[in-house]
Amino acid sequence: MHNKNNYIIIPTLLLVSLIFSSCENSSIEPENPTGKLRIEFNHYINGENIIFDSMAYVNDAGNNYLVNEIQYFISDVTLHKNDGSTIILNTWQDILYVDTDIDETNSYIFKDEISEDEYSKLSFTFGIVAEKNNSLMFVNPPESFMFWPELLGGGYHYMKLNGKWNNELNQPAPFNFHLGIGQIYYSFPDSISEYVQNHFIVELPEMALNIKDNETTTIKLIMNVDRWFNTPNIYDHNFWGGDIMQKQDAMQQAIENGHNVFSYIIK
Amino acid sequence: MRLLIFFCALTATLIFSRCGDKSTSHPYKATPYEINIPFGFPTNLNIPEDNPMTVEGVELGRYLFYDGRLSGRTHPDSLISCATCHRQERSFEAGIDHPDFPGGFPHGINGLKTHHVMLPMINLVWNSSGYGWSGFLYPENPIENLRNLEDMVRLAVLAKDEIDGDTTRIKKLFQSINGYPNLFEKAFGSSNVTFKNIEKSIAQFIRTLISANSKFDKYMRGEEQLTQSELAGYVLFTTEEGADCFHCHGGWGNPLFTTHLFYNNGKDTAFLDPLDRYSITQDPMDRGAYKATTLRNIEVQGPFMHDGRFTTLEDVINFYSHELNMTPYIDPLMHHIIAGGIQLTPSEKIDLLNFIKTLRDDEFMTKVEFSKPDKFPDEL
Ligand code: HEC
Ligand code: HEC
Repeated sequence: MHNKNNYIIIPTLLLVSLIFSSCENSSIEPENPTGKLRIEFNHYINGENIIFDSMAYVNDAGNNYLVNEIQYFISDVTLHKNDGSTIILNTWQDILYVDTDIDETNSYIFKDEISEDEYSKLSFTFGIVAEKNNSLMFVNPPESFMFWPELLGGGYHYMKLNGKWNNELNQPAPFNFHLGIGQIYYSFPDSISEYVQNHFIVELPEMALNIKDNETTTIKLIMNVDRWFNTPNIYDHNFWGGDIMQKQDAMQQAIENGHNVFSYIIK
Repeated sequence: MRLLIFFCALTATLIFSRCGDKSTSHPYKATPYEINIPFGFPTNLNIPEDNPMTVEGVELGRYLFYDGRLSGRTHPDSLISCATCHRQERSFEAGIDHPDFPGGFPHGINGLKTHHVMLPMINLVWNSSGYGWSGFLYPENPIENLRNLEDMVRLAVLAKDEIDGDTTRIKKLFQSINGYPNLFEKAFGSSNVTFKNIEKSIAQFIRTLISANSKFDKYMRGEEQLTQSELAGYVLFTTEEGADCFHCHGGWGNPLFTTHLFYNNGKDTAFLDPLDRYSITQDPMDRGAYKATTLRNIEVQGPFMHDGRFTTLEDVINFYSHELNMTPYIDPLMHHIIAGGIQLTPSEKIDLLNFIKTLRDDEFMTKVEFSKPDKFPDEL
């Protein structure tokens, strides 16, 4: 059986096996036309890019403030269609980390092949849902630096928004606007009766979002930082103080405002 | 036949283009050294591609780290090694009780004091954000020879306030010491002693210095319980309303007990040190900022802070409790600044200290693999 065809069959087999073993970045030609989605993360105050470390801003409570850095997770990004059906973009990664100090975290292309279509809306979870928010699931920095202490509920900070405001004594007082699992106390700070999952779903306004075959659609997602402090609750740093990880009432105000914080533009 | 050639060519391209997979072929066959990742530790390691860890490289590095002839001098009075300052029993710092450095303030072979006090050598393979108090060695540094531990070896050897050596003399000397050329051969495939290979082997040895067996590690692994006071201290350490140390110094979810990042933690009102973090970033917010060091083994270290201003951990805790200084440069994570500090009560201070002491790892400080070899290669 010394067939000349073997010379072709063997390399073919080799080729095929190579294709299928190529570290997951190859795929069989899809039957349906599909495109990709990129999200670019932007951070605004009063409609413009934040100038960090500049005490140039005033919130609705009248606090002059500056922003030093913002670090947060969003997860389970979902595309909605007019017929009510949805697709969760989680093939590769369901939790995205964004850090204003690390450029590479400010843009993300989903690995998901999204069917060509007109989508009507985008939504995501701000933070991480309880079932997934497990301690030590991120062992590598920078995500690991987001850990939320075991005693306070464990898992990860949803957000660290660090800055300063001019307090009543006109001192630049630090604020750590940190969100994560909250606690209800029997007696503060020693005895906790229950934990509160503060993650919430952000539904962005409807907008025609076209995914086209072989194209990458870019969404510019904007965190309007001023809105953490004004709608519907006027958040006063003088009232809540510099830290809120153990103040569920403050976190509750924040998450109610959080529904209005994001907007987006399709590029 | 055309088809055959086509397929072969295609196959070849595929093989060579697969996922940017960098095939690292080395002419010598040293034994790969495996780093076991301790529970909860990061899986990403800072090991440069051109210096893979090998058993032979680490062995050579250990000899060189401890060999007092590393300055290129052989007179018994002028011996100095990395270990002269970096002592295993002090988590590779000098320590307050160093016989030659009163108070733990080290000086080099010429008596010149180092600009800052010591940093420990512990779990450094997990630091990718910068070595040194200011983080002046970091992987993305545009200056190519200021990027990693290999460079720290060279700098320590050359520094006037440290070893003050001469690389040519050092190469010549080690080439002539019985046993060393053979060790270089085994580690790097050539018995020719080069300074690059000296750098590489010592850096490899430093990357093996892993501490992950303190009482707190055993607590994390469910092997040991903490005392009432240690637990109370742990709660203080990891709560904002408590002592709030964890944002910078880690905890359960960041068992390195450091972020390896840089902060101004409120020690001063004027910042005159030319070698603070600002000197690297030129970001005004980094004035007076230094690396938040790991608190693992901190109990056996000291003096504390980059300038060694505190002698005891009690001093440090008092500082964070009542003595913080407010300036525009204070890091926002120091939100207790407004009250002058975390205002711990005397019993809370004891609890916090007891917790910090659970981070001491005696195994690390006595482990034979990290210690001075009984005999140097020429004595074997
Ligand atoms: C004279 C005392 C002295 C000697 C000898 C010495 N060092 Fe150091 N080492 C220091 C001091 C002081 C620092 C803190 C440096 C700084 O200012 O950032 C340091 C820091 C380091 C660090 C940085 C640790 C970190 O966490 O960033 C490394 C690595 C290091 N030394 C390696 C070595 C090596 C390798 C040798 C031998 C070739 C050596 N040192 C010899 C005093 C010494
Ligand atoms: C904002 C970040 C931050 C916070 C919060 C913080 N530290 Fe630090 N810590 C630092 C920095 C930065 C240094 C090094 C400063 C220097 O050398 O000038 C340091 C140094 C230390 C040192 C001395 C380390 C050495 O090797 O000399 C100890 C001990 C320490 N901190 C303990 C604590 C404790 C205990 C707490 C909580 C009460 C705490 N820190 C809170 C940033 C922080």
